[in-house]
Amino acid sequence: MLTKVHPERLFIGSIMLAFALLIMATVGIKPQLLQSLQFLILFVSLLLVIWIGIKAGKFDIITNRLRNRAVGWLIAATFSTALWSFAHKSTQLVFPALKEFRKIWNTFEPFALFATVVFILFALILFIVGSRDSKLERPGFIERSLVHNLSSKIAALPMVLTAVGVFVIATLWTVYHSFTNSRMLPKSEFIGLAQYERLWNSDRWYMSIENLAIYGACSLIFSLVIGFMLAALLDQKTRFENTFRTIFLYPFALSFIVTGLVWQWILNPDYGVQKIVRSLGFDSFVFNPLYNMDIVIYGILAAGLWQGTGFIMCLMLAGLRGIDQEIWKAARIDGIPMWKTYIQIVIPMMRPVFITTLVIIAAGIIKVYDLVVAQTSGGPGISSEVPAKYVYDYMFGAQNLAQGFAASTMMLVSVLIVLIPFTYLEFGRRKNA
Amino acid sequence: MNSIEIKNLSLNFGDVKVLKDLNLTIEKGEFLVLLGASGCGKSTLLNCIAGLLDVTDGQIFINEQNVTWLEPAQRGIGMVFQSYALYPQMTVEGNLSFSLKNAKLAKDEINRRVKNASEILQIEDLLKRKPAALSGGQRQRVAIGRALVRDVDVFLFDEPLSNLDAKLRTELRVEIKRLHQKLNNTMIYVTHDQIEAMTLANRIAIMRDGLVLQLDDPKNIYNFPINKYVAEFIGSPGMNFLQGKINNKDNVSFQIDDTLFELDGYNFQTIVEDKRPVWLGVRPENIVVNDGNKSMPVNFDVVVEVIEPMGADTLVWSHFNGHEFRFTVDGNKVINIGEKINLGFDPLHISIFDFESEDRL
Ligand SMILES: Nc1ncnc2c1ncn2[C@@H]1O[C@H](COP(=O)(O)OP(=O)(O)OP(=O)(O)O)[C@@H](O)[C@H]1O
Ligand SMILES: [Mg+2]
Repeated sequence: MLTKVHPERLFIGSIMLAFALLIMATVGIKPQLLQSLQFLILFVSLLLVIWIGIKAGKFDIITNRLRNRAVGWLIAATFSTALWSFAHKSTQLVFPALKEFRKIWNTFEPFALFATVVFILFALILFIVGSRDSKLERPGFIERSLVHNLSSKIAALPMVLTAVGVFVIATLWTVYHSFTNSRMLPKSEFIGLAQYERLWNSDRWYMSIENLAIYGACSLIFSLVIGFMLAALLDQKTRFENTFRTIFLYPFALSFIVTGLVWQWILNPDYGVQKIVRSLGFDSFVFNPLYNMDIVIYGILAAGLWQGTGFIMCLMLAGLRGIDQEIWKAARIDGIPMWKTYIQIVIPMMRPVFITTLVIIAAGIIKVYDLVVAQTSGGPGISSEVPAKYVYDYMFGAQNLAQGFAASTMMLVSVLIVLIPFTYLEFGRRKNA
Repeated sequence: MNSIEIKNLSLNFGDVKVLKDLNLTIEKGEFLVLLGASGCGKSTLLNCIAGLLDVTDGQIFINEQNVTWLEPAQRGIGMVFQSYALYPQMTVEGNLSFSLKNAKLAKDEINRRVKNASEILQIEDLLKRKPAALSGGQRQRVAIGRALVRDVDVFLFDEPLSNLDAKLRTELRVEIKRLHQKLNNTMIYVTHDQIEAMTLANRIAIMRDGLVLQLDDPKNIYNFPINKYVAEFIGSPGMNFLQGKINNKDNVSFQIDDTLFELDGYNFQTIVEDKRPVWLGVRPENIVVNDGNKSMPVNFDVVVEVIEPMGADTLVWSHFNGHEFRFTVDGNKVINIGEKINLGFDPLHISIFDFESEDRL
């Protein structure tokens, strides 16, 4: 509601916004503009601090239970000031040793400056809000967001920064440049949707998508089914279970390139299966999937399954082991046949495992690249191309960054189209349950 | 008529012999409790009866029919587990009716049975809920209901109340007893809890290392334990043991150092020769504090060391001739630490065990 503005929330929000802008400016998106914007927003938050101070009226610093925290932020501000000053000539003249790490200090400089300002603001706000809120029984918003579980927040910060930096910023950057005519180097010259038009007019892209669809559907179904069946078999108190598990898991330890090469040999008519069967006397036997445009993708699929199924089996086995043995006993006493117990009781109980597995398999499908490169290099012709290879080839082979970006943006969009309803369903279910 | 008969049952897990040539006969409508220390094979025995484990040797009869190699579902048993083992993604109703649906029973019949069971167990209001939305006690009721709808002759319980808190345990214990009185079918109940065993059982089987040591009604097990292990196992606080020997000179008495306890009135199973080393066991609650009028046949003095008030009575710790000695007195009686107290007991209420074999004499 507009009548009840929460200056504290605005404050935290603006600090976060300023931080996001700082990161974007550092990454290189509109550096000057975003930097000045960021300090503008920091200024706004300073004004907010003053406003909160005025609204708070009377201060009672002595009884302020947050005083230590505020002092802590001040100390942190001192440290970051020091860090900031390390990048400056005058400090480096006093401490010559600092010069050796000049590059590091220069990287830290903007962050240190930003941190100084933010920490001082934090300290101020804790003094002000804290002296007001310390009379409240329940911690206020600021106290909860700045003080509560502080150490875990600090510990999570590097990961949050990485996630924001890699996933959000880099993604935005990619999408942004897919609308430009960047070739070898990123440029900011907008040409609208031209890259996408070109993409969707390309036979190679269509072929890639078709292949990905076939590969994806088959690999999803087969690795789930085979992985689950193997796990269910191993779960029957099999002897030598460890041995089997190791054998099935071995391929996972190989890199895709090695798997690809191995399977290229196996499927190669001159060295592999065809040769062996022919040498047994079946002279007209033909088996050369990698040289047949219609079925080449299934050759790649075989290698992919061989590599991935063992891992899926291990995940499933862990899930099966997590099921209470007494559930099995209860089902046996109830007279439920084994297959029905699996389908109606055990698999629904393993839902979280299945979701994890699904995500892992899906990620593997989207990024399939090295297998293709090692087995066929996309051939014969373009019949085994996949989207990831398209992106890579355009970005680094054809030196057409923007085209590669457009293709990767399309991949991202399709992933989101699948993912958003899925998470929505999951999330909604949680809420209802 | 015998409901369950177990003949020479053995079960090995690889080299580990868990059940050794075990025999057990349970009558129709009997409530048998299996009691024993952890790892003595109670669950294993129950699983063998249920058919969840393949026996190594021996036979199991249920209602005079040899079921040794029948599937669990065909044995006419229902089982309730410690961890409830409900099917989590089905509602309570689904849990109750799943086995019936699977057995292709008519819809009306399923509904009738579910309704009947939920009435008996008072879970009618919970039928549409999932197990996750139930308390522990409610879950265990549903688990009992799942056995109930199947209309079986024998109920097997494997520590069904162990996961519940003390108050709920008492409530559900009474309810299981009521259920038994109402249905009057055979029940085998595994527990660690002596109170559960004493209150529920028609007969208790005390197990140790895969063998049944004593199978008797609760009163006899409590009063006439067949050996020292059973005597120690049953009763809380535990029985006091004094080590000494039999003095058979004039009349039979128990000699510990220089003290003689006359054993007039004790029912010896066998004739006991002079100087035989024995244990004398007496329960803390069978000790009487003499105040003036010496009424008990056996009397001796101890010094009070520690006092543990427990409400209704007070547990007093002391030593007698180097053996720890506990006894209970009325909770209202005033007792001081360091006080010398004269105690007595009736030889009728004690147990004498052989020192070597620890069997009752
Ligand atoms: N699958 C198994 N493999 C090998 N040994 C087993 C197996 N299951 C049980 N045992 C052993 O059999 C013995 C009896 O086990 P059981 O589960 O019947 O004990 P219990 O009397 O039910 O104990 P608790 O009161 O703790 O449940 C134990 O010593 C146990 O180690
Ligand atoms: Mg057990």
